[in-house]
Amino acid sequence: MYNDNNAQTIVEYIKNFTRKNSLFMLAYGTGCGAIELPATLTSRYDAERLGVRGAATPRQADLLLITGYLSTKTLKRVIRVYEQMQDPKYVIGFGSCTINGGMYWDSYNTIKLLDKYIPVDVYINGCMPRPESVIAGFKELQRLIAEGKADGATKYKENLDWYRENQKKVLKNWPLVEYNW
Amino acid sequence: MREKSTTIYLGPQHPGITGNMMVKLQLEGDTIVKAQTHVGYLHRAFEKLIERRNWMQTTTILCRFCVPEPDPPEAAFALAVEQIEGREVPERGKYLRSLVLELARIQSFLLWYAGQSGSAGLYTVGQWSVGDRNYVLDLFEELTGGRIYHMYIWPGGVRRDIPVGFKDKVLRTMDYIEKRIDDYDRMIFDSAIFQKRAQGVGIINKEKAIEWGVVGAPLRGCGIAHDVRKDNPYDAYDKLDFQMGVFEGGDVWARAKVRQFEIRQSISMVRQIIQNLPAGDFLNKMPNPMKWTIPAGSAYGKVESVRGEFGFHVVSDGSDKPRRVHARGPAYVHGVSLLEDILVGENLADVSFIMNSLGVCPPEIER
Amino acid sequence: MKTSFIKEELLFQQLATAFENVVIEIVRKETVFVYASKEFVLPILLYAKEKLGYNSFSHLSCVDWIENDEFELVYIIWSPETKINLFVKTRIDRQNPTMENTDMIWRQINTYQREIREMFGIEFPGFVGEKEFILEDWEDVPPMRRDFDTLEYVNDTFFEREGREDKQDVRERIAKRSGEEIPDFAKKYSRE
Repeated sequence: MYNDNNAQTIVEYIKNFTRKNSLFMLAYGTGCGAIELPATLTSRYDAERLGVRGAATPRQADLLLITGYLSTKTLKRVIRVYEQMQDPKYVIGFGSCTINGGMYWDSYNTIKLLDKYIPVDVYINGCMPRPESVIAGFKELQRLIAEGKADGATKYKENLDWYRENQKKVLKNWPLVEYNW
Repeated sequence: MREKSTTIYLGPQHPGITGNMMVKLQLEGDTIVKAQTHVGYLHRAFEKLIERRNWMQTTTILCRFCVPEPDPPEAAFALAVEQIEGREVPERGKYLRSLVLELARIQSFLLWYAGQSGSAGLYTVGQWSVGDRNYVLDLFEELTGGRIYHMYIWPGGVRRDIPVGFKDKVLRTMDYIEKRIDDYDRMIFDSAIFQKRAQGVGIINKEKAIEWGVVGAPLRGCGIAHDVRKDNPYDAYDKLDFQMGVFEGGDVWARAKVRQFEIRQSISMVRQIIQNLPAGDFLNKMPNPMKWTIPAGSAYGKVESVRGEFGFHVVSDGSDKPRRVHARGPAYVHGVSLLEDILVGENLADVSFIMNSLGVCPPEIER
Repeated sequence: MKTSFIKEELLFQQLATAFENVVIEIVRKETVFVYASKEFVLPILLYAKEKLGYNSFSHLSCVDWIENDEFELVYIIWSPETKINLFVKTRIDRQNPTMENTDMIWRQINTYQREIREMFGIEFPGFVGEKEFILEDWEDVPPMRRDFDTLEYVNDTFFEREGREDKQDVRERIAKRSGEEIPDFAKKYSRE
């Protein structure tokens, strides 16, 4: 990466290197995919060897896992949580239902396209994804971070109006908090 | 001097809460004076979706009702449909169903070990038991093709027969797990931390248990012997030899003892099933799934899941789609109003501890 | 195979002598249905609990019979002695749906009534419980009613990912991108 043609400066390279190797993910199971996370984090699959581990609060976390379908009620909390997280922050969409609604395509209470509401860096497909594919997703995210391409948070800041418009379409009666970016 | 009262929103994002729900707590010091549960963060409208699917297509939805143990909903629904339709299940199908249900109990117990001890700060057991749970999930993967969601139990039997050499693998895994749970017990039940935190916490007495409709391990922890597998035997349970774990006390400790007893019963039942597995068909002949209609009628099918009685009320109007399916999981009674009641007077630090011991599982409350 | 319904018959007798205006039906083994009008539900539940030992409440469910313009409420109770599931069924008017509050008999009915009030819009006068249970800021028809069309709501509210029109076989492109080779046996399953 450092010696590539699209070379990063040495400072960026070191920054990305350290970021990719200590991903603290927020312990927030938003859907049924959360059941494979204990298996991923414990002895057999042991994601901690990649530097991935749980964090208790949004402000300490780098990585938000949307583990499956999001009901509109949870979406409100997820947006709140995502905006509370500090840069650098990344989002992984977990399972088929974040990609296109999956088996909940005709449910009145779940959103179908996650990337219309918050920016997603990596999708992991499957219902539900096995621990191996979760780890593959983490590796893919690490690759993107190392290349400096995981820029979902910047996209969110730049296109905040567009995201807000989409969010307001689903969430009624919510005084959206305007953060001072 | 009166302490100032504070309000704390515990969840939906909180590592101690068992799933995606919220408890609004009013505290004086760190004693809870009022608790209010807020659920609905995982509502997927399954019951509405089932009304739009035909009978065969419901199988993909049913297993997703409750994530930690997906087999009891399938079995309860299948029992209800069989009651309406009058369909018989072959003997081998019954045994295979019980095999899957008991394996599901074991993997769920292992997950419970992690949750219960983790909420008391004993993280080692969680690393062990969730790691060992993978061996049970491997069995599921070989038998059904899926680690978590199996879609294995159909009305009329099970989806496929056991593969070659599967019996030996089950027995080997059971031997291994039986050896390991002794280690977990030494880590949990001999630990002074766990004893001090579990005894006398989250007490449900007998009268309250009946009034609130408590089921499963929390009910047997109050000294009331009730188990759907004994009382209304389904599948092969009337031919298996097992005992209910009944303990007095009604606190977290008694519930933990019940589960400690029952995981060993489950292992012994799996062994019995493997030894006595009859030959023959495993699935009653199915009609064309696209044209499968169920005669008009209604039934209530119930099975014993790890956390208690899991019931399905199924109504058919004679068409190819279910008219109404309403599920009632154990967490539906434990996790909403009962929790509000028993949290009063407890300590803030014990909330997730009590929720784990009651087996509160939000995906099945709101479905 | 002839099944004998001794304990079911006994329950039939007990209920038939205690209540006149109800229809009782032995449906199958360990299942008895009681059809009653809505003012009899509370007495039947109380009688079954206090006198017959049906002290375990299993279920309260609601079925929307839109073609008859009625809601059906089903109370399922269970007795540890006889092990019979007793269904108490009642039909209420769909236009003005109200039902007696029964959560003083079993406290857990509170949860069921909260759900039914939200999902079907049935009112239980005198019943105390938070208004919102599962849904949040819901302004449409109560969603479990049959006349609520979930697909229409989805099309109005949510975005949908467009499927691929050209139906291309993208395996080769993916293989080239990630530097893998498609094994020989897989090539014959191509879409052409």
